[in-house]
Amino acid sequence: MRSRLTAFIRGSRRKNLLPGYVAVGLWCLFTFVLIGWIIGASFSTTKDIFSGSLFKSGFHPENYVKALFTHKVGVYFVNSILYTLASCLGIVLVSMPAAYVLARFPFKGDRLVQNAFVSALGIPAIMIIMPLFAVITASGLTNSRMLLVVLYVGINVPFTVFFMITFFKNIPRSFEEAAAIDGCGPMKTFWVIIMPLAQPGIITVTIFNFITVWNEYFMALIFANKTSMRPVAVGLYSMIQSMRYTGDWAGMFAAVVIVFLPTFLLYIFMSEKIIAGVTSGAIKG
Amino acid sequence: MKRTLVVAAAVAMAVFALSGCAKKVESTKLVYWSMWNQTEPQAQVIEAAVRDFESKNPGVSVEINWNGREIRKTLQPALDNKQVIDLWDEDIERVVKTWGAYALRLDDYLGKSFPTTGGKAYKDSVMGSLVDLARSYSSDKGLYAVPYQPFLFAFMYNKEHFAKAGVTATPRSWDELLDAMAKLKSAGFVPMTVDDAYMDTLPGYYLARAKGYPWVQSLVKDKTNAMWDDPAVMQMAKAFENLAKMGYLSKTVSSNKWPAGQQDVASGAVTMYLNGTWLVNEIMGTTGPDFKWGTFSFPTVPNGKDDGTAANYGAQAFQINKNCATPDLAFALVAHLTTGAWDAELAKKSYGVPVGGTTEWPAQLAEAKAIFENLKTCYPWAAGIQADTDKLPVIVENFTRLVGGTVTAEQFVAAMKR
Amino acid sequence: MKKNPYTLMKVAFLGPAVLAYVGIFLYPTLRTTVMSFFTVGSITDAMGKWTFAGLGNYADLFASTLFMRSVSNLGGIWLFGGLIVFAFAMLFAVILTSGVRFKSFWRAVIYLPNVISAVAMGTMWMQYVYSSRYGLLKGLFSSLGLERLAAIPWTSPDYIFGALLVAYCFGMVGYFMLIFMAGIEKIPADFYEAATIDGASRAAQFWKITVPLLKGVLRTSLVLWTISTVGFFVWSMIFSPLNPEPGTVTPMVYMYQMVFGANMVVTDRNVGAGAAVGVILSLMVLAIFLVSSRIAREDDLEY
Repeated sequence: MRSRLTAFIRGSRRKNLLPGYVAVGLWCLFTFVLIGWIIGASFSTTKDIFSGSLFKSGFHPENYVKALFTHKVGVYFVNSILYTLASCLGIVLVSMPAAYVLARFPFKGDRLVQNAFVSALGIPAIMIIMPLFAVITASGLTNSRMLLVVLYVGINVPFTVFFMITFFKNIPRSFEEAAAIDGCGPMKTFWVIIMPLAQPGIITVTIFNFITVWNEYFMALIFANKTSMRPVAVGLYSMIQSMRYTGDWAGMFAAVVIVFLPTFLLYIFMSEKIIAGVTSGAIKG
Repeated sequence: MKRTLVVAAAVAMAVFALSGCAKKVESTKLVYWSMWNQTEPQAQVIEAAVRDFESKNPGVSVEINWNGREIRKTLQPALDNKQVIDLWDEDIERVVKTWGAYALRLDDYLGKSFPTTGGKAYKDSVMGSLVDLARSYSSDKGLYAVPYQPFLFAFMYNKEHFAKAGVTATPRSWDELLDAMAKLKSAGFVPMTVDDAYMDTLPGYYLARAKGYPWVQSLVKDKTNAMWDDPAVMQMAKAFENLAKMGYLSKTVSSNKWPAGQQDVASGAVTMYLNGTWLVNEIMGTTGPDFKWGTFSFPTVPNGKDDGTAANYGAQAFQINKNCATPDLAFALVAHLTTGAWDAELAKKSYGVPVGGTTEWPAQLAEAKAIFENLKTCYPWAAGIQADTDKLPVIVENFTRLVGGTVTAEQFVAAMKR
Repeated sequence: MKKNPYTLMKVAFLGPAVLAYVGIFLYPTLRTTVMSFFTVGSITDAMGKWTFAGLGNYADLFASTLFMRSVSNLGGIWLFGGLIVFAFAMLFAVILTSGVRFKSFWRAVIYLPNVISAVAMGTMWMQYVYSSRYGLLKGLFSSLGLERLAAIPWTSPDYIFGALLVAYCFGMVGYFMLIFMAGIEKIPADFYEAATIDGASRAAQFWKITVPLLKGVLRTSLVLWTISTVGFFVWSMIFSPLNPEPGTVTPMVYMYQMVFGANMVVTDRNVGAGAAVGVILSLMVLAIFLVSSRIAREDDLEY
């Protein structure tokens, strides 16, 4: 009786879902049109874009060649990959042990440390940028790739620690107990036994860090101002300005596509993981 | 997954190590931060000239960082950062006023001669008026920047449109301008447009024609806003309100984001645009070299003070860092770029003006040359209306509404006094 | 005192993270706060060269029309943007948790803009959607015969703030939708079934069950929203690439101009005032945080 009732309720609920489909459908349609048109425009010419009919003069993949080589998107691209990979790695190496200690070994002041990390999430970049700039200048560290990586690591550590604490808390203690019986020291236990267990969490948080670092703009604008050091976000911005000077809209759209492609592809393959990460990370703020 | 992470890490580390080792054994190196984008014609000429300089001076290498106009945002932090940047360039007024404190005083180099000056002193191979202009911007009247690529800021227009509409002489007064616009409109052309980037030049020039540029500067700096009650302000607002009402301005004028408006000039939809002589080059990609360009100075206005002998003119200019280790070499490079063959080449390729006064001006700028030769007063950029950074955005916003036809002259003036 | 065998490990494991925190967050925050009470000519000046200004920097800021405009823009983005984002996010969250087909597809598409660089997203909006020549809105409205709407100059001073707001919100909806969905999915289905049997309408269920049980989630979201709007910078740069415009200027943009000078005319650069902007923003975040935790205590309802 009960199951029939629920089936009935479910059924009746499904009937008036139509407005829902319409709302969600329109929204998604808009997203597709937006991105689809940009991709289309990137294979078109400036003249066709302005005349309102893409591809009137055919298909123009040479916009990409121009963006990649003349405008050096290739260089920005390699830079971004370097920054992103090195930063993600650094973040993991610094944050995981800290999160583990905070999750497992209570000590005097552990709440304080934890709250300090949480508070860092609320500090606007504007508060930290000027002293960092002064210190970095004084120590002559500007325009090195390492500097930007160190900054990205430092900035993303609080979030990562915060995210991973919950994760480590959910790993049963029995693993460590067994390791201790086998005579494995606590540090070794962490690297050999706990880290592999934490892999799903590490991957999720790394995807996040990847997207954040890849899209970061402000720090890079100030600290990596040489053309050869720029990551894609800053490079794209300056390229857009430059293409506006020469009136090359098609090339500009090609550059836009090149820049969003990596995160877009990453997302297509890992959207479930990313979405799971957002929900598990943010639900308990 | 774990293995991929390890591999990724190894790759990242390896590339880092490589990039760290890539530094060459250095001889004498100059670092030049450029205002050009590498794809612009100026950049291509400058790059070729720099390579030529390197081949003539063995052991010297010049590293160029193409910033584009983003240099306005990036140079300051980099200089504060004590990065090694030996020379850079931008607008003459901007480099002297904004970055003058970082620059080397160059007066001593003016008397020297260089391989490209043909035995003459440097100062005798370039336009003297521009050197004086560079001096006039600095607080101690010393020379802190070397001009090149001179420009004039005036109305740039499509001569074919004028001919087809039956406008035979370029307008000298505001009334003549209105006449010309009426003829253009009835001939089916949109007489005038502007982009957000140059919006402030219109009220700036009008007010400067009415009262002189020092008055404009004190107007915008007046914290009591009392000066906005001056009849000249209302006259200016009425004049532009009228342009909007008569349909003499492009319909998209209030939403134009640079370079949308100048592209309309390029495509032949709009006739005139108050802009720099660089416009010829900037929209060459769309106009092609056969576009018939004309130039006329901002017209006089009723009860006004200034006439066509006053305009904003200037140049791009090189500056040398006061901390530069090899200033002689840096100046030699600047001389190489700004005199002789490369100066002429730069003017030719970018449809600009050569700084070595004798060299010929491009055909597109024949009318500009005539105006240039008669100039007596140099306006600051936008005739001084930018003198207060805090007020400027408010002026631009409300003036945009005025030319867009959404506010009246009275509402504009009221908004300015708020 | 008994020596803890884990002390070494705690120090070694926590050390780098704490160091990073102190170096990149704590020290700069304190220094910026101190700096905001001084007149500082150049960002690289040593502390010895600072001259004490008391609350002078703050007074200057509050007297500046452009700064006040930047604050009111930020307030507008926070309030109106917040309402738009939360409303759409909640709507989609409710729709997607009510048993629609292809849920994960819809969810993925709505979240998509979050992974795309803001520079790329902003350019798409600015150069395509709002273009007054070949723009999406122009084309859409004129094909529907709505010529008045098609002629709206979206990037003119009267519309640019709204245009910026909509573009920014479009990207943010997906993120909050995911958070709300996770919250809703945690609410036991029995609650709704019971309510349905009792004859409660869908709207009543939403206001009586969903919203109260999501209070904690809403509070978190509010804090997250505040944090992400305070740093509003790139979008302004894309919508006004040349000079700050009253319609799009935000405190962060104002600070950049103040500290790094992006304009033709040199105003006296005062880095101290830039620091004061930072302090004001941090206080705003703190205030929102305190207020929101008052309005909705996390442990209001247990289920």
